[in-house]
Amino acid sequence: MPDFTLDHVIIAVRDLEAATEDYVALLGRRPSWRGEHPLYGTANTLFRIDNTYIELLAPSAGKPKDKRWRGELERALEERGDGPYALAIGTRDIKRAVKTLRHNGIEIADPRDGDGRDIATGAVRAWRNAWASPSTTNGLRLLLIEHRSPPDALPIAAPDADDSAYVTRLDHVVILSADLEAARRVWSDGIEARLALDRTFPERNTRILFYRLGDATIEISGGAEQPEEGLGKPDRLWGFAWGVGNIEATCRRLADRGIETGGPRRGVKPGTLVATVKGPQTHGVATLLIEHTPESFAPQSRAPHGAAYDNAPEQRAFSGARLQRVIIATDDVASALVAWRSTLALPETRANETNAARLDAGNMAIELVQPVPGSPLAAVAAERGTGMAGLVIEVDDLAAAVATLRANGIGVELQTESATGRPTASLERTQTNGVPVQIVGR
Amino acid sequence: MTFWRDVLGLRLHTLRTMDDQGVKAALLAIGDSEIELLEPVVDDNGVARYLQRKGEGLHHICFEVDDIEASLEDLKARGTEMIDHQTRIGLAGRICFLHPNAMRGTLVELCQPLEAEAHG
Repeated sequence: MPDFTLDHVIIAVRDLEAATEDYVALLGRRPSWRGEHPLYGTANTLFRIDNTYIELLAPSAGKPKDKRWRGELERALEERGDGPYALAIGTRDIKRAVKTLRHNGIEIADPRDGDGRDIATGAVRAWRNAWASPSTTNGLRLLLIEHRSPPDALPIAAPDADDSAYVTRLDHVVILSADLEAARRVWSDGIEARLALDRTFPERNTRILFYRLGDATIEISGGAEQPEEGLGKPDRLWGFAWGVGNIEATCRRLADRGIETGGPRRGVKPGTLVATVKGPQTHGVATLLIEHTPESFAPQSRAPHGAAYDNAPEQRAFSGARLQRVIIATDDVASALVAWRSTLALPETRANETNAARLDAGNMAIELVQPVPGSPLAAVAAERGTGMAGLVIEVDDLAAAVATLRANGIGVELQTESATGRPTASLERTQTNGVPVQIVGR
Repeated sequence: MTFWRDVLGLRLHTLRTMDDQGVKAALLAIGDSEIELLEPVVDDNGVARYLQRKGEGLHHICFEVDDIEASLEDLKARGTEMIDHQTRIGLAGRICFLHPNAMRGTLVELCQPLEAEAHG
């Protein structure tokens, strides 16, 4: 299998200045590069993100030596206006890649040298590329590219937004196809990309081929049923789904800049939140923002959410902490027990006390307690009524936990648990958002 | 967050504003359980009224179930007083709330994580 990656995606635009401004807002990042190709008569703005880069490409003034490239771009702009233009497939060995593609039936030009100059810094990047003939790619503009300059010649696009409210990566490319079998021949047989999933969604009358190209996903989407009149029609590069760190914050930021989004809402893929970006600022690109939050919905995976959340360093004294039980204050343990046992079918685990009962709730317990007059629990119940009246957190080492709490200025009162005779620590309620918290040792 | 995340060092793994419910919610992992912090972003929803009436403190308890539709049907069949007569999507997955009257003053939520529902 070839070493292909999705090197970059190209968006054709008429007005590079306006498009650059819109994409700075949309991506929440400043350009990596503002360049020109004097030889071809085009100019571009590049944004390097985690797994690829984005190229906004526009015709420029002047008389290029080689007019074909600009002519093709102008024709596309004429026909469709601004929009997704081409996908650049990266390789480390373009000569071999060209051979592979030709062998697989894709017509592709001989590799040619190219370079671009950054208009601000004067930096130059060099590459070799080769364009495939759309007549053999089911209508898509695809090119191979081998970079001659080191990867860091193109700097990362600096984030221009707070709170992870910016695009971090290209989540997937969307291609629409009226002839999925033809598309499959191009991507599976021609490019030898890995088909990760071929899935039909009958309720949406949609079938999607998911290809992996390096660290990016290409989704080729068509009808589950493909009418005959669509067969042989060209595929269309439709849009991009951008991964963002925090989709809520991103939507808010975009709204502040007058860019409308629909969402966030739950994505089709479990554990994702998505928002469609509407309006002219996408320059004809179907645009989706996506945040992956598998841990939001899967209690079995508690992996930290990348760098998206600002987490304090783990406190060693609490590293093994668990919620041992929740205390419920009641004025009648017996009848509360009936309600909890019968309604939620929680089994009782300890019933040897007259003013308390304990129920097993899987990974923790529910303790129903009738407060003893004058006790702290009675004070809580008097203030807030019956119901939830405290959390008991179990730690490995009570003394270490108490020391950590005190070092952080939390008021701690050591007591002896009446039922067990074991020491417990009660925390100052004003410092725990009003929640009565007790800490016990394991 | 100053106490739960910064003093106890519990890991914040979800922080989200849910406009439809008018709350901002944070989930912090503690063992196999979670502490959820809720902050109203509007002043006329249940959480906001609760804070006005009682101040900060314990609000509700959420139990994870394997099949929330079956649990809800079962509760309804037994005449349990419910807030939600149909399940809906919440931060933790598909959820429904029992009426506090049903549990003698405790607000109880059931949830089924979405991943279990959206398999295959």
